Amino acid sequence: MADQLADEIIAKVKAHADPEVGEITLDTDLNALGIHSLELTEIIFDLEEAHGIEIEMNTVDAWNSLKNVGDMVEAVRTLIAKKA
Amino acid sequence: MARQRIVITGLGGICALGNDVASIWDSMKAGRSGIGELSAPHLEDKPRIAAQIKQLPAFDIDRRRLVAIDRFALLAVMTADEALRQAGVSATHMDPTRIGAVVGTGIFGAETADENYWALLVENKSRASVFTVPRIMPSAPAGQVSMVHGLRGPVFGVTSACASSNHAFAAAADQIRLGRADIMLAGGADAPLVFGVVRSWEALRALARDTCRPFSADRDGLVLGEGAGIMVLESYEHATARGATILAELAGAGMSADAGDIVAPTIEGPTTAMQACLADASLAVEDIDYLNAHGTGTKANDQIETAAIRRVFGKHADSLSVSSTKSMHAHCMGASGAIEAIACIMAIRDGIVPPTANYREKDPDCDLDVTPNVAKERKVRAAVSNAFAFGGTNAVVAFTGV
Repeated sequence: MADQLADEIIAKVKAHADPEVGEITLDTDLNALGIHSLELTEIIFDLEEAHGIEIEMNTVDAWNSLKNVGDMVEAVRTLIAKKA
Repeated sequence: MARQRIVITGLGGICALGNDVASIWDSMKAGRSGIGELSAPHLEDKPRIAAQIKQLPAFDIDRRRLVAIDRFALLAVMTADEALRQAGVSATHMDPTRIGAVVGTGIFGAETADENYWALLVENKSRASVFTVPRIMPSAPAGQVSMVHGLRGPVFGVTSACASSNHAFAAAADQIRLGRADIMLAGGADAPLVFGVVRSWEALRALARDTCRPFSADRDGLVLGEGAGIMVLESYEHATARGATILAELAGAGMSADAGDIVAPTIEGPTTAMQACLADASLAVEDIDYLNAHGTGTKANDQIETAAIRRVFGKHADSLSVSSTKSMHAHCMGASGAIEAIACIMAIRDGIVPPTANYREKDPDCDLDVTPNVAKERKVRAAVSNAFAFGGTNAVVAFTGV
């Protein structure tokens, strides 16, 4: 099933990731992306803007416990759902 | 206890003249200028000149570091790498807490500043890049050098506009003499060839129209350049104990302030700094064979510097070989002193005084032997490098052969 949100987040991650990482899927470990921690913050800001959601500080802490791209997609999905 | 002697065991450099010390020195000896047409974003409205690095060399650096680093700090990291290799110094097989770095800058991460304002004010982006602060800060070159090369001793930036590198040499030598470190990297870096900085210098009406002609009667200003230079400093005892090749000695440093005008130089400030340097190095004026002038190519600097040199060196001023290598690498702002230190150290090592390029007409107010256009072979026992700056912050260093 096509998952638009997942595709969008993977595209954003890909733009920041080390080109040598290869294909990025929902199972890709965030640590394997070769992304600076501040870049993850950039991606989060982009997602906030794109979806009109707000990630609170305690949520940012929660981001630290995210392991892979799929976890990131689900976290954003939850925030979008809350907003709706 | 006698004061520790500080020696140089590694050198690194990058500027329009070349991507390493060997190629920079080859250009300097040949009197080849690196000044050409400037190519930079948002500066296409008219032709401009500058001394730009043609192409950055390939450099192996973690992508995660690269996104957080401005060009000026990257130049510092690259030249530190060259200097460390030559010195045979590595934080992985020495105590990293005993190795530090002092890196000067006269500007800041200018490219980042421009990109940031452009995004916010022109492209109406809703927020700045998260990397803006760590990329811009004037201490970034020092911090990045320490991170990339694993140095855990005293690490900080220094800034005194165009004298920053020479202040960095003095501050780094002090760290060793005060026992805070065994090895210090020291130098400077600047990458000012971007819209904001270039336009600001244009506003000062200090820029040359065709090229940089220091001490020539038809000189009409300075040319902006970019670059970095780093040297590895350690005590003579430390260097000999580990069997390092000693390139030269950092014999002394002298600092002063004009306490006058923010832009107009004085004769007294530079005079005091040169005298303090010679005293610090325990050198007589007759010991100096080569003086690398601040020599910006502006009317005011070159005339006042000539007067100050005459005041310090007296009769010996006429036996002195003087040159401004800014005629070739242009004014690399805070990196100037570091690139000019390469000229001094290599002059001592090879017995060749690099020339003042682009020289055309004698100026009675600049009547020293400025080594016009062609390098001169002569034994150089000791060399002095002048750096004066906006703010009247002067720093002069002396190098000797070992």
